[in-house]
Amino acid sequence: MLTLKNIRYAWPGADHDTLVLDELHIPAGRTVFMHGPSGCGKSTLLGLMAGVLLAQSGSASFLGREWRSLAGGARDARRADHVGVIFQQFNLLPYLSVLDNVMLPCRFSALRAGRCAGGTAAAARSLLQRVGLPQTLWQRRADALSVGQQQRVAAARALIGQPELVIADEPTSSLDAARRDDFMQLLLGECAAGSSTLVFVSHDERLAARFDQRLSLPELNRAQQAA
Amino acid sequence: MRALLSISLRSALNRRGTLMLVVLSIALATALLLSLERLRTDIRSSFSQAVSGTDLVVGARTGPVQLMLYAVFRVGGATNNISMDSVRAIAQHRAVAWVVPLSLGDSHRGHPVLGSSTDYFKHFAYGDKQPLVLAQGRPFAATLDGLYEAVIGAEVAQSLGYGLGQRITLSHGLAPSVGGDLASEHADKPFTVVGILARTGTPVDRTVHVSLQAIEAIHLDWAGGAPLPGMRIAPEFARKFDLEPKQVTAALVGLKSRAAVFNVQRFVANYEAEPLLAVLPGVALDELWAAVGLGEKALLAISALVALVSLASLVAVVLAGLNERRRELAVLRAVGAGPRHVLLLLAAEGALVTLAGALLGAAAAAAAVLAAGPWVQERFGISLAASAPTAAQWGLFAAVLCAGMLASLVPGWRAYRMSLADGLSPRT
Repeated sequence: MLTLKNIRYAWPGADHDTLVLDELHIPAGRTVFMHGPSGCGKSTLLGLMAGVLLAQSGSASFLGREWRSLAGGARDARRADHVGVIFQQFNLLPYLSVLDNVMLPCRFSALRAGRCAGGTAAAARSLLQRVGLPQTLWQRRADALSVGQQQRVAAARALIGQPELVIADEPTSSLDAARRDDFMQLLLGECAAGSSTLVFVSHDERLAARFDQRLSLPELNRAQQAA
Repeated sequence: MRALLSISLRSALNRRGTLMLVVLSIALATALLLSLERLRTDIRSSFSQAVSGTDLVVGARTGPVQLMLYAVFRVGGATNNISMDSVRAIAQHRAVAWVVPLSLGDSHRGHPVLGSSTDYFKHFAYGDKQPLVLAQGRPFAATLDGLYEAVIGAEVAQSLGYGLGQRITLSHGLAPSVGGDLASEHADKPFTVVGILARTGTPVDRTVHVSLQAIEAIHLDWAGGAPLPGMRIAPEFARKFDLEPKQVTAALVGLKSRAAVFNVQRFVANYEAEPLLAVLPGVALDELWAAVGLGEKALLAISALVALVSLASLVAVVLAGLNERRRELAVLRAVGAGPRHVLLLLAAEGALVTLAGALLGAAAAAAAVLAAGPWVQERFGISLAASAPTAAQWGLFAAVLCAGMLASLVPGWRAYRMSLADGLSPRT
């Protein structure tokens, strides 16, 4: 489902490679825990997986197609159709309501909107219910919520329309222990329900046990080893 | 994309505190541009509507623009009078159909007084060859019995609250009598209002019309602009004097055929007994517009600069806020917006702010016209039409919008580059 081979990536203007990868293959439906301290190339790898960044050499193929073979606009459209992303914080547009934020991916992807049974708004409401957000908050502005609530909304947003790949970049780092456990349970449950592949990046190794596969980025990234 | 437009709108509304100042400055610029254009058009049309059907205006040899200004628009003063003999000589020219003599120089509470013959009501036309119509009453009789009769324009009646039968006194000179300066008042010879003209939208509205004989009568015991000491002629006795006017200020001339206009003009210019000048109203107005044209262009240039400054401030405000919005842009990238969507988003925000400002400015300009219209009409005889926008105004409005959209591409482009560089992980 997601295959990276012989990747070399350097940020523009950098004098050495940030990421050098021999091979990484993630089959569909698997939950992957990617572990690594800050600065080891996690964000770069996520960018390459989601087709936001293009490696200088090597192949990155997602759902059988090379990201490189698509033009910029087509890559964005493909990402809109098949990928959901959760950041560590600031996941939501502050001036939109909670419901509008959850529906955002469907405004950019007709495919995902089409997968919503009963319409986008209905799917959004049902997701918000499943992530445990009280109904009174649904029409509130996104920046009126607490961090824990915002992260749950972010999960709902990433999952609407059942994207094939969900990328989570340290989503629990700004949550306390209780919230973190709730969030993990929620995320893994929803991904299983929608048969989505989950790539979860974090520096907190205690979470690794819940996942199918565990990868260590410093081991994978030969650029790091060389340095 | 409708989705982008709606997100743009919400995003702009979110920062409406900061953007409000920009909206106001764009509104000011638009209001300036539109008001200037409206004023320009209305002044021109007011002036060209003020007299029609008159082929030549004859007066002392001053200048075409000055002659038009005092004879037709009752603005400014004549340097010299012309003798009634000359007017009669012109009337006898074979190509001339009618002549209406005009006598100016007095005023009533700031409104100019015009002395003329009864032919004035027959031959004077304005706008689209429309004749003068009386809303109430009748024209002055210009007979000895009806010597002290006046016909007032619609604006005089409205602003001073006069009706038929009102008694008024005239003042010498054109300045309004301040603090009741009785020395220059023809207080001993009051007039009665016998007619009120319907509104014309021309300087006729603010004029008080009396007969030429009446003008002679009130100046019988005056010399050099002041009453002769010790000599007071009562109103009834004035009738016994010869009240035929010897001098008038100007004359309106109508010809039997338009083709003869240059012949008659040359006849008047070559008239040996007195230095005279005959002008075609249209030609004189063109000269006037050429003279003020430079001033208009300067005002227009300044307004355009104001518009540019306000658009620059729009760009500055949006650019300044871009850094804080990097995370927001990353979220948009994550849900599938590409860099060009980000460009469109920012550009649309700028365009929406410009539109809001331009609409506000257009409304303000219209309101200003409504508010100031009556005052301008009263003071200058120019009617500001609160009518539909002209093509030139639409053009200015569109120019402001286009400029705003172009200017918004600057922060849009910046956001595009930032979004490309940041990808999903902005460095903030």
